[in-house]
Amino acid sequence: MTGRGFPMPPPQNAADPKVGGSSLHKRGRSERKLALLFVTPALGLLALTLLWPLVLAVDLSLRDVRFIGKQGNFIGLRNYIEVLADARFWHAGARSLIWVAGNALAQTALALAAALVLHQDFPGVRIARVWVLLTWIVPTVVVVIIWRWLLSNSGGMINPLLIKAGLLEAPIGFFSSRASAMTTLILINSWRWFPFVTLMILAALTRIPGDLDEAARMDGANAWQRFRRITWPLLQPTLSVLTVVGTLLSFNVFDIIWLVTAGGPSGGTQTLPVLIYETAFKGYELSRAAAISVLTGLVLMGFAILASRSMTREVGT
Amino acid sequence: MKFKTKSILSLTMFLLGSGSAIAQTELKLWHMEQPPHRVARVQELLDAFNASHPDIIVSQEPQNWGEIYAKAPAALAAGNGPDMLFAIPDFAPILKEIGAVQDVGAFVGTLDAKHDLLDSAVASYSYDNGVWAVPLYNMAMSLWYDKAAFEEAGAKVPETWSEWKVAAEKLTAHGKYGIGLPASKGLYTDQVVYDFMVNNQASEIYNADGSFAFDSPKTAEAYAMAAALQKFSPPDSAGWFWGDAEACFASGTCASILQFTTITTYDTQGSGDATKLGVAPIPHADGESQHNTIAYANAVMLLSDDPAKRAAFETFITWLMEPENYGRFLNMEPGLFLPVTADGAKAESFWNDPLVQKYKSQIETMIANSANGKLFGFTNGLTFPSIAPISGQNVLSEVLQAVVIDGAEPAVAVAAGQAHMQEIAQ
Repeated sequence: MTGRGFPMPPPQNAADPKVGGSSLHKRGRSERKLALLFVTPALGLLALTLLWPLVLAVDLSLRDVRFIGKQGNFIGLRNYIEVLADARFWHAGARSLIWVAGNALAQTALALAAALVLHQDFPGVRIARVWVLLTWIVPTVVVVIIWRWLLSNSGGMINPLLIKAGLLEAPIGFFSSRASAMTTLILINSWRWFPFVTLMILAALTRIPGDLDEAARMDGANAWQRFRRITWPLLQPTLSVLTVVGTLLSFNVFDIIWLVTAGGPSGGTQTLPVLIYETAFKGYELSRAAAISVLTGLVLMGFAILASRSMTREVGT
Repeated sequence: MKFKTKSILSLTMFLLGSGSAIAQTELKLWHMEQPPHRVARVQELLDAFNASHPDIIVSQEPQNWGEIYAKAPAALAAGNGPDMLFAIPDFAPILKEIGAVQDVGAFVGTLDAKHDLLDSAVASYSYDNGVWAVPLYNMAMSLWYDKAAFEEAGAKVPETWSEWKVAAEKLTAHGKYGIGLPASKGLYTDQVVYDFMVNNQASEIYNADGSFAFDSPKTAEAYAMAAALQKFSPPDSAGWFWGDAEACFASGTCASILQFTTITTYDTQGSGDATKLGVAPIPHADGESQHNTIAYANAVMLLSDDPAKRAAFETFITWLMEPENYGRFLNMEPGLFLPVTADGAKAESFWNDPLVQKYKSQIETMIANSANGKLFGFTNGLTFPSIAPISGQNVLSEVLQAVVIDGAEPAVAVAAGQAHMQEIAQ
């Protein structure tokens, strides 16, 4: 394009023969200063809204504050030692892992299926692409009310449907055991979030050159082979990013869990965010909750660093 | 001259106006009665009060129970809290611990002399040499039942636990359930569990010395009974919150429930036939003779140490407790809020409400049931600060879940529950 188009200006970083080395160095330095000047307000805002609360949280975790408004005494790492020795912390951590893995699987499967369908050209595809977003734009509280009603034994529709379909003999309680409550919650949350993943995958699908698929088709590859050999590998970069972002987003989900099961039954859906909330605002142990938050934050930060390094390596290779 | 007179008059008016504005005391009320019709009724009362007391302006800011435990301490710490805040007994110690609540003992004494306050209502806010809130309205749980369903199944309204099991079993058939009992982790389940405990002489959480009395054979029996009745409750009751039981009852899926009231839901979402709505005292254990229940008074705390605000608070509450106003206040939710004063229980403003008149016999039974009411952690004049986090962490329902969901033996679960209470208290 550049060869046949307008003459392009020389690259900004090309050495100007008229300018000496030290002048170039000075210009680079002043540009850096200018850049720093431009980003300073944003950095300041970030420090104020992210770093300062983080510092306060760490400070709180080293004290024995129970209620908001109290200063408490400095107790060093006692909260951390107690939290790490508490089985509830590890159980909640394990449930968080199940929650994240379950959501990743369910959302990816739902989103991939939806994106592959919406990538086809059929009448009404534009409406379908808008329609699939509806579950994502519905407020969480409304999602919770809808699903609690649908799954209820008093007037809910799911139990009668399953009984009529011959899949159940009698109504069941979807939140009456730990396993069924966690599974149901994962499905509800995935139903809510899969449109976002669908959009990302759909965008990635549109970037895959159509001639690759066409060539494979002409070579006699069937749909499954084309998906496995072309679509799936080319979706990997997008799926990797979604894995990192999705994991961080899913891990921190609190609203749906709290509103549907409040961490029950019998702690079966008490993930780390739920444990933090309960410790702070139901157990009145603000400092201990801060310690759990800091530990959770460290784990998530470690995961994000490892994942981004791994992705950088993949891009490099 | 004319201009001069006018100017002097205007200046005088302005100064008088300014003077009255300066003397006006503003009171900010936070309450957790969020449904719009309750907010509207509170506003009606505030408008009437403000109109008759030009020196005081009371405004309301409705909150919700889910947030208030975190929000109120934060707002007070930020210096932006309310002057008056509604409370239930286990909420008051939290604000008292952060030093925000004012002692209203003398004022409660004055109200008691004038209106005869219910002793149990005052008792749950009386500790540490003070009275920390003014009781406003009482709530007591009862057994609500569908008379037609009981007649159809040939079931007798139970008096004892044995009779209760028989009735629940008879009523459970064809997708209908004999009793709707929650088994979720939350305040509703805590309170229903306590209904079983108080009806088996296991009402004490603490001993007099502050040690725990929860782990006892009587408590384990109460849990065993609550778990046994779960077989006749809808399978989704492990996830129930307050509204679910009422919805189950109103839809006819549950033949009976334990609730403070179901009148409004029954009237608007159920059949609304007052003759078919039964209410009875909660059955007691075999061998016991008295029906008991969980009951507690909601109250209002004073959070300002400003003498002018205290005086305005006392004026406002005195006005509210006058029988002609008090009944209207209670009827912001007819059939739920019961009077805590002797003259309020007879007030025309209370009994004249159309819904109260329609369900008069049920409300009379509710008031009678509330006579034997108790609240866990606030019995025998003993109150210990750890009851707030114990209640906050729903230890009573946690123990029920261990029995119902995890299949633990009641005695083992109760022992574990006491261990958790001890851990919280430390």
